[in-house]
Amino acid sequence: MNPSLQLLLVLWISFEVSFTSRLTANLVFLILAIIVLLFHHLRFRQWLWLICGPFLPALALFVTIVAYSPGHDLHFGLVLVSRIYLYVMAGATVTFTTTPLKLAQSLEQTAHLPAKFAYGTLSAVNLLPKIKQEVTQIKAAALMRGVTLHLWSPTLYFKAILVAINWSDQLAQAIESHGFVEGHPRTAAHPITVHWYDWVLLTSGIIILQVLLIAFP
Amino acid sequence: MNKSHFGLRDVILLALIGIIFGVIYFAGDFVYNAVTLLLTPLGLGAAGNDFTMGLWCMAGPLAGFMLKRPGSAFLGEFLGAAGEMFLGGQWGAANLISGAVQGVATELGFTLVGYRFYNWVTILSTTLTTTIVTFAWDWFRNGYSHFALPILLACFAIRLISMFLFCGVLVKLITRLLERAHVIPNAQV
Repeated sequence: MNPSLQLLLVLWISFEVSFTSRLTANLVFLILAIIVLLFHHLRFRQWLWLICGPFLPALALFVTIVAYSPGHDLHFGLVLVSRIYLYVMAGATVTFTTTPLKLAQSLEQTAHLPAKFAYGTLSAVNLLPKIKQEVTQIKAAALMRGVTLHLWSPTLYFKAILVAINWSDQLAQAIESHGFVEGHPRTAAHPITVHWYDWVLLTSGIIILQVLLIAFP
Repeated sequence: MNKSHFGLRDVILLALIGIIFGVIYFAGDFVYNAVTLLLTPLGLGAAGNDFTMGLWCMAGPLAGFMLKRPGSAFLGEFLGAAGEMFLGGQWGAANLISGAVQGVATELGFTLVGYRFYNWVTILSTTLTTTIVTFAWDWFRNGYSHFALPILLACFAIRLISMFLFCGVLVKLITRLLERAHVIPNAQV
């Protein structure tokens, strides 16, 4: 499916489900999302992450709602648990089936997002391994001087921001030296097409959601 | 230069800051899980979310204080969330929605003071708007509407304190360091 439309559908579902509490709709879309993921042959570790990641927050909400709230509402507790898993699984259908590059290209061409946002964010995402290394380095450098940088140490963030300023300068220069001009019309080396079935999937998904939300508990 | 114009460099900078913060408070996930585990038997498990909320929202106010332009707080928070989507965080695309909500919440705090002051008044106003708006969002999303009143009040108080410490005091300390190092663009405006 076209990445932009897929993202739109997932966001639409997540948003609407946040304001309604229907168990059926949550479960149906949760199962659909899992089927989509099954088709993409995730690795075992990815499944483990998807299932264990949201477990604790879901459990906490469930216990609070069912055991400690005035209504002791089991139905609503289940709604919340299924909603959280729906967020995660539906989100994963986007992040695990497309690459950041494809999503950026699609957002630029299909959704007509200004290119600087698409590629600016993409370039930052691609620096991720360097970012992780840099954070470890900052901490290690401080440790060598006998200083432990905590989550709440301004110095840690200060040093990280200095690095970010440097990198953003260099990246912007690099992108511009490759002929990128802001707001200038661009040609696409990899045109992203929107097929008819992309639209069918999007509209049918939204229609099914409405039907489920209105007609089922 | 057009005051509300964001160049390629600004976009990259904001996204980078968001992602770097995401990497740093990945460690916050551990705190979050530990606090949640500890509080769940007391019926306050949901408060784990409120405890660490201030951490997640830091990129927004910081971007607002750094660039001092309308829209920078929102973009800082939102682009960070967009980047974290691929970081392997547990929330995936749902990050975009929370990012947008948190971004609007923070931006509102700067709007309230008319983008003219960047001092403790601003800190207080962003703390308040971020707490209230994200709390309203959780009212629907995380079912806070069903909580008993004492739990609800506890969650709100914890979130307010967390917001003030991280998005307020810590952001102010970081901006002070940046100002002393003369790295904040147009710091004199």
